[in-house]
Amino acid sequence: MSKFPFAGEALKSLFKAPLTEKYPLTPKESPEKYRGKIKFDANACIGCGLCIRVCSPNAITKLVDTVEEGQNITMKFDLGSCTFCGYCADFCHQNAIELTQEYSMVVTDKNDMIVSGSFIKKLPQKKPVPQKKATESK
Amino acid sequence: MFNRLIEKSRAKSPWIYHVNSGSCNGCDIELVALLGPRYDCERLGIKLAGSPRHADIVVVTGPITSQSKDRVLRVLSQVPEPKVVVSLGSCPMSCNVFKGSYSVEGPLDKWTHVDVSVGGCAPKPEAIIDGLIKAIEILKEKRGLNNV
Repeated sequence: MSKFPFAGEALKSLFKAPLTEKYPLTPKESPEKYRGKIKFDANACIGCGLCIRVCSPNAITKLVDTVEEGQNITMKFDLGSCTFCGYCADFCHQNAIELTQEYSMVVTDKNDMIVSGSFIKKLPQKKPVPQKKATESK
Repeated sequence: MFNRLIEKSRAKSPWIYHVNSGSCNGCDIELVALLGPRYDCERLGIKLAGSPRHADIVVVTGPITSQSKDRVLRVLSQVPEPKVVVSLGSCPMSCNVFKGSYSVEGPLDKWTHVDVSVGGCAPKPEAIIDGLIKAIEILKEKRGLNNV
């Protein structure tokens, strides 16, 4: 046996299952706290724009449209230029951004990588301006 | 009939060529993990080719830097048609954090047609397998072997 030092290991390995993962046949879950595809909750967002400031590849854009009730704000997360650092989720104090465990992002068109959500931000109602009565003082 | 047999066998073993165009090595390591025993993509028939002239699928990583732009284009032109271009990670898709740099020449689809883009920074090996399976489907379509 001393002439073949790994013979025992080789014999044991003969009866072991292969190490290879059968990935496309059996689905695999990503590890806990894996930072994958971004999930954006538009109803929780208040449009403070802190995520835009901390995003190093400028992947987040904010579009503001003025509508009757206030402002229609659309947040766009371009996962095609995301580094998945998770800063946007860390800095969001409304917890509107979540990095899910979904890792498979295969697209043929780049625009499919954009995650977006829009909500309406109501502007504060304008108080009626008190009119100065210049004639009263006299 | 003999030609059809060759075409069938070719569709079952797409060889990939890996071009690094200024990548940070993150995506490259994940791609190399595919060729090892754990994710072993040779069970799908995928093999790393040493020369672009032998390849069917080109996998590009990294933002296209000015130094590597000409070389990437030369390599892409050497790949015989029909070929499938796969971009790996965020960098070839949008230049990622390097966008706007003086030494980076735009995303990859500015220079060539990109068939499959795999997102992630870096993508998990499982995601790369998904992307390569998609690329194989597109390659079959381009060869006109959709019903094989």
